Amino acid sequence: MKRSLAGRIWPNATAAVLALGFVFPVYWMFATAFKPTRDILSENPVWFPLHATLDHFTTAVNAPNFWRLAGNSVLVTVAAVGLSLVVGLCGSFAIARMRFKGRKGILLTFMVAQMAPWEVMVISIYLIVRDADLLNSLLPLTVFYMLMVLPFTLLTLRGYVAAVPKELEESAMVDGCSRRQAFVRVVLPLLAPGLMATSLFGFITAWNEFPLVLVLNKEPGAGTLPLWLSQFQTQFGNDWGATMAAASLFALPILILFLILQRKAVGGLTSGAVKG
Amino acid sequence: MKRGLIAATAVAGMLVSVAACGSSGESGAGADGFKGKKLTVWVMSGSNPAQWTKQVSEQFEKKTGATVEFKVQQWNGIQQKLSTALSEDTPPDVVEIGNTQTAAYAKAGALADLSDLKKEIGADWSDAFNKAALVDGKQYALPWFAGNRVVMYNKKIWAAAGLTKPPTTRAELFHDFQTIKDKTDAEPLYLPGQNWYFLDGLTIGTGAQLVKQEGGKWVSNFGDPKVAKAMDIYKQYMAFSTAPKNKDEATPQQAEIFAKGKTGALIAMGYEAATAVKANPAIKDDIGFFTIPGETADKPEGVFLGGSNFAVAGMGKNQELAKEFLKVALSKDNDAQMVKEAGWTPKSPALAGAAKENPAAAAAAPAAEKSGGTTPLIPQWAAVENVPNPIKNYMTAVLNGKTPADAAKDIEAEINSRLAKQ
Amino acid sequence: MAVQLDEAAADTGPGTGPDGAPAARRGPGGRRAAPYLLLLPALLATAVFLGWPLVRNLVLSFQNLNMKELIQHLTDWRGPGNYQEVLGSEQFWRVTGRTIVFTAVNVVLIMLLGTLLGLLLARLGKTMRLVLSAALVLAWAMPSIAATTVFQWLFDSRYGVVNWVLDHLGGHGMARYDWVGTQLSTFFVITVLIVWQSLPFVALNLYAATTTIPKELYEAARMDGAGTWKVFTSVTFPFLRPFFMATTFLEVIWVFKAFPQIFAINQGGPDRLTETLPIYAFTEGVGNLHFGMGAAISVLTIAVLLVLTAYYLRLTLKQEEDAL
Repeated sequence: MKRSLAGRIWPNATAAVLALGFVFPVYWMFATAFKPTRDILSENPVWFPLHATLDHFTTAVNAPNFWRLAGNSVLVTVAAVGLSLVVGLCGSFAIARMRFKGRKGILLTFMVAQMAPWEVMVISIYLIVRDADLLNSLLPLTVFYMLMVLPFTLLTLRGYVAAVPKELEESAMVDGCSRRQAFVRVVLPLLAPGLMATSLFGFITAWNEFPLVLVLNKEPGAGTLPLWLSQFQTQFGNDWGATMAAASLFALPILILFLILQRKAVGGLTSGAVKG
Repeated sequence: MKRGLIAATAVAGMLVSVAACGSSGESGAGADGFKGKKLTVWVMSGSNPAQWTKQVSEQFEKKTGATVEFKVQQWNGIQQKLSTALSEDTPPDVVEIGNTQTAAYAKAGALADLSDLKKEIGADWSDAFNKAALVDGKQYALPWFAGNRVVMYNKKIWAAAGLTKPPTTRAELFHDFQTIKDKTDAEPLYLPGQNWYFLDGLTIGTGAQLVKQEGGKWVSNFGDPKVAKAMDIYKQYMAFSTAPKNKDEATPQQAEIFAKGKTGALIAMGYEAATAVKANPAIKDDIGFFTIPGETADKPEGVFLGGSNFAVAGMGKNQELAKEFLKVALSKDNDAQMVKEAGWTPKSPALAGAAKENPAAAAAAPAAEKSGGTTPLIPQWAAVENVPNPIKNYMTAVLNGKTPADAAKDIEAEINSRLAKQ
Repeated sequence: MAVQLDEAAADTGPGTGPDGAPAARRGPGGRRAAPYLLLLPALLATAVFLGWPLVRNLVLSFQNLNMKELIQHLTDWRGPGNYQEVLGSEQFWRVTGRTIVFTAVNVVLIMLLGTLLGLLLARLGKTMRLVLSAALVLAWAMPSIAATTVFQWLFDSRYGVVNWVLDHLGGHGMARYDWVGTQLSTFFVITVLIVWQSLPFVALNLYAATTTIPKELYEAARMDGAGTWKVFTSVTFPFLRPFFMATTFLEVIWVFKAFPQIFAINQGGPDRLTETLPIYAFTEGVGNLHFGMGAAISVLTIAVLLVLTAYYLRLTLKQEEDAL
């Protein structure tokens, strides 16, 4: 279909402006992190970090316990997401492929579980963990993060599992595979994009969690990066260079992960869920 | 919530107290039992000066064979952090508590009774200092330090502006700020919009009462024109500052801004000088202090007299060791070191000499004597200062152009409901 | 942000669900217990680590739990006192109303703009589409704590870029505008932040979903002389209805629960005027050390959220029934 010149220009122009709008905050975070302080606190914004410096990153990394907390964050996040993937996959397979009593109730349970406002339950969780004598440990964090991630992992994977044509599995079984073998050899590879997409969102949630770790782990070495970022901000208040460097360091792993995995994530969604 | 009720008689009170100094408790039996143990002490950010910390740690280790670990806490969210920590199986052994809060923690059963220890080591402390640590006649904490705000200034910048002598009236001070603004590229003053203890001092200066009794209940009195007048003075100060109107002096630490050498002055506690030096050692020789001048030369600006106590966690496993620590930390030598190093008001006459050695303490003394005051002395008051502190909202609102009367009306319901809670 | 995609995947799923083939009966794994065994870990974990705190929270909400009780490990039953106090206070109802309006405004904005953005993506040429998608993915991937920090910096009153731009675009007097000074402007910043974070999800997935709509449907509609709007209402929207439903549901949950964004920007201030229910529960409970009261508010918060999403939950369950 032919469109007028104006008709071709305006979508592109709008898109360009919008792209700028969406990128700008991310760009500004990195740009500020690299700029010397006098360029940050200047009457007119310095749009590009022409005199790039790593000072702010040094400040951020030298904050007490940075590496320790980064390690904690990675450990907790990976463990929580990994666990929830395994547990969620089992459950989703049952829900998507099997018919059994109580299926609806179970489904509803997970949908409601997904709505749990964890932030407002910190005190009851704190009391439970305190009484179990597990404060300042990474174990409760891992477990609760896993559960924050689990309902949507399970519900999502259910969509992906359902989208794998049953015939594939059946033909594998005809070829002599057991059901478990059929699952591992045929279904699992097809689920890869789904697993990646799901893990991505799990990573973000667990990586971001703040109110719980704030109350549970008060020992300086037992925290995670969100705690570090928020304390960093209180302490360095208007040292925006250091704060932005800290935010950059915090965001970077997730940004990279997303850029690597997002094609699969979005693609997985279309092929899987909207097959109609 | 910080640094509470030291009555205006702090300095005067010392003169009356008994001069029983130097009762060094060499009765320390059982020293062997402490060997190898570790004591955890929570102190607030900026409270423990470096040299004091060093000598206390060394003396404590020598005396008991145990080690001490100071854990520095941020003010932000401390109530929640401290109250949960005190409920745990292994709480910090010794905690610093702002003296407005001490009564609340004591009443919650969080603190050990230190009455005997007070008799042993604190016989000559002024009653004014000790008052906030007493709850129902029992000693639930020991006063560590107290003091009031002064102007902390950068000598180099003031000299560059051609200013040679500290101002004696508020008008002179503002004139000096203006001179700095005109003649140098420095910011004359860094004063964020929510330094509420400075405002409290100003209301003491204007004679305002922050609460009043109505029908047998305490209610907000922020609508009083005298509060508005104090706020107006605050606003005049802020005209010389580009600090954010919606932040307090601890976020970021104002001393760290001062440390960059681009700030003419701060309204600060003496101990903040150490924070600045830590951030930038080169600033050390440029720091000077003077009393916050008042309307007239004969009466300094009103100031809030605040301080902190040391308390021992009631659930702590090392209470005996904690008491040993307090004997060391609050010995006459170490108290003198606090006064010398951080500029606190001396808590016994024996420390008067140390105060002379510290310029901040010297600058603080006249105001403490003539124009010191406190927050309202009612038990319900502490809740008003809980986060989010409505008074800080009031300040930001007025600084952003709201009339004081309207801003007062906005926070009235919140303050009243907090005053009404038990 | 995370929640959404997966959920959409799951919940647009019902149409694609098992088409009646009773798989569980077949094959060596088709024992009756199999589904329960497979679900056991998930159910157990949920029961223990979500159910237990929920129950504990409910129990706490009937207690008087302040600093004293917390520190001395006391249990002081208060009966329905906390609920009476909360439900009887004007503030709770004001916060609830505010939360609903806040959620509605944000969700409407997100769905509307997200749809437009998605349709725009579909209209773009390949290069521009890639550019815009990349920009969206970047915004999407920003962890919300980092994003909130960045927005505080963008809207900083003194050196923030936003004020500078507004000032130079002629809005003089904006030079040192304090964005967190009033209720409305604080909500404005929070809304911009939340919408900015949420649009990419809606837009990218909507675009992806439109690519699955058979071309013939469009052609047929065009033949009938339908304009852009008509094509959207008669082809795109009906086809993507499950997608819209699921996404709206997720956005409601997500906006309603938004915590770090609101809390970090101004702690629910000024004058507690930007507190939504989760912030209110946190401030009363943890901030003011009235934990029992906070627990009661959080129970009510959960109830409000359930009411808001009840319609969708029922709908989904019904679809499930049809699917099997």
